Amino acid sequence: MKTIEIFEEAMCCPTGLCGPSINPDLLRISAVLDTLKRKGVNISRHNLKDEPQLYVSNKTVNDFLMKYGVEGLPITLVDGEIVVSKTYPTTKQLSEWTGVNLNFIPVK
Amino acid sequence: MTKYLFFTGKGGVGKTSIACATAIGLADAGKNILLISTDPASNLQDVFNQPLNGNGTTITEVPNLTVVNLDPEEAAAKYKESVVAPFRGKLPESVIQNMEEQLSGSCTVEIAAFNEFSDFITDKAKQKEYDHIIFDTAPTGHTLRMLQLPSAWSTFISESTHGASCLGQLSGLEARKEIYKQAVQSLADGQATRLVLVSRPEVSALKEAARSSQELQLLGIQNQLLIINGLLQQFDENDEVSKQIQNRQQSALMSTPQVLNEYPVYSVPLRSYNLSNISNIRQLLTEDNLSGTKDYQPLKDEKSLDDLINDLYSSGKKVVFTMGKGGVGKTTIATNIALGLRKRGAKVHLTTTDPANHLNYDFVIKAGITVSKIDETVVLEAYKNEVRAKARENNMSAADMEYIEEDLRSPCTQEIAVFKAFADIVEKADNEIVVIDTAPTGHTLLLLDATESYHKEVERTQGEVSGAVAHLLPRLRNSQETEVVVVTLPEATPVFEAERLQLDLQRAGIHNKWWVVNSCLSLTHTQNPFLQAKAQSELTWIEKVKQLSNRNTALIEWKDI
Repeated sequence: MKTIEIFEEAMCCPTGLCGPSINPDLLRISAVLDTLKRKGVNISRHNLKDEPQLYVSNKTVNDFLMKYGVEGLPITLVDGEIVVSKTYPTTKQLSEWTGVNLNFIPVK
Repeated sequence: MTKYLFFTGKGGVGKTSIACATAIGLADAGKNILLISTDPASNLQDVFNQPLNGNGTTITEVPNLTVVNLDPEEAAAKYKESVVAPFRGKLPESVIQNMEEQLSGSCTVEIAAFNEFSDFITDKAKQKEYDHIIFDTAPTGHTLRMLQLPSAWSTFISESTHGASCLGQLSGLEARKEIYKQAVQSLADGQATRLVLVSRPEVSALKEAARSSQELQLLGIQNQLLIINGLLQQFDENDEVSKQIQNRQQSALMSTPQVLNEYPVYSVPLRSYNLSNISNIRQLLTEDNLSGTKDYQPLKDEKSLDDLINDLYSSGKKVVFTMGKGGVGKTTIATNIALGLRKRGAKVHLTTTDPANHLNYDFVIKAGITVSKIDETVVLEAYKNEVRAKARENNMSAADMEYIEEDLRSPCTQEIAVFKAFADIVEKADNEIVVIDTAPTGHTLLLLDATESYHKEVERTQGEVSGAVAHLLPRLRNSQETEVVVVTLPEATPVFEAERLQLDLQRAGIHNKWWVVNSCLSLTHTQNPFLQAKAQSELTWIEKVKQLSNRNTALIEWKDI
């Protein structure tokens, strides 16, 4: 099974939903990731504010950040390789990587 | 007497003075005392006339007394630096800034404050070292939140299935769970802790005391007592002002909410002198040496609220705030400003955010003013519903909704909700003058702070930002259309606090021209020597306000209302 990791920028809370305005994309990604987790997919989400060490120790991520700065976030890694940056993966992409049917969530 | 003593009450009732008097009294009697201030607007430094810090300072003039001054803002800054420092140089500057920004929220301040506070109540060494540990706590709302946090958090940490939301602010919060739990236990232990409710013989202060008493009771804090501060003892039936004060105080005491009558009640007399130094505080609980005042003359030719309103009206202000500590009369003054502007022909909207507000607005509405109220619980629920509706648009399952609900329980959600309501109302100032009485100081500053970070967030967020919110901060900073009226009383503490408030406003880039000094005895024609002495002691503070405001000071006479 593929391992998916998403490195996000510093957000007030893990979903960013308690933030200053409602970001529909955060809402979507929170729902999709939670569904995937419950289906047993190996997927994790990192918040810069809570786990800054990971952004240093993961060489791929660190190199990318050193080059592009905070604008490069969020970064999505599939099996350790950067596949998407500056934006969240689409629901369709996540469905393809994991083989989980996510049709019930409006595709973006 | 219990090991721990907590003083709580509405801002300006004299918590600091009484906590200090208690601490000094016990220290003078040979006890080893630790006095801890958690008030964000703490003025203990002024009282002891020496710099204080968060580690403890022994007081030169009072052997046996150690004072700790906790500054939540500073604690938060320290915490932020401890998180960020190890990553400087290892992550690019833009990433460091992103971390710092997210650690600047008010959650961080509150969490840092509670964090320090819990250290003192669970420290076994301090428990042995001192006979009594006295906490001079923050204004009511803040206190309640702080005290409520542990139980909220304890459940939150153990029940959260998705990791600790905003509370993840403190990495390693889980490790401190035990300390927080102990802090809550000590608070609710009647053998260890006594809660002292401080109030004034005034209806609103007593209602507020009853409210916090009940809320704290629900949190298991049963061992309470009530102190009525500022009771008139030199009653003079030949003097009109003295009679009015006496009547007002007595009728307020008659209507003391039932819940307060269950506790022992003590009173502290009204003093003619200021409680701004150690020797006066020593006298607070014992005597009043009246030094005669000859040739008392009420103040004349002072600027009035009418002058202030004329200036607001002719300069075409669109947003007017009254700001100051709780209990100085912000709501009443905001109402009078609204009425005055209306009388001059302006279209006016009045908004109140004060949770302790009990005004009847029929009169204002009849004058042709529209009125709204920002109720924290209501706006919070509205914001949650907005998020829920958005979530449903995305066809979220019940389990997913649960996930979102978890984050909506975070403390920042509430502040954001209040802020949104605030922004929507100010947006209306396009066609009418909005007059807003803000909530008590600490809360107000948090709101403005939220405004600041909100503004930064708005610039880069991908989310949907309402026009009202995006417009707000520049409007607040535009002195052509916004005026913040600082309201204070002619006493040491309120003036010092208002001065700090003005500094904070300036830091936030917000304009202030006018100050109002409310309830001046020095404008009355009292014949009573005690009240004349008290009126005389106001003059120092009125003069200080005139200097701070570049003489744009409106005075309001003490009134029997």
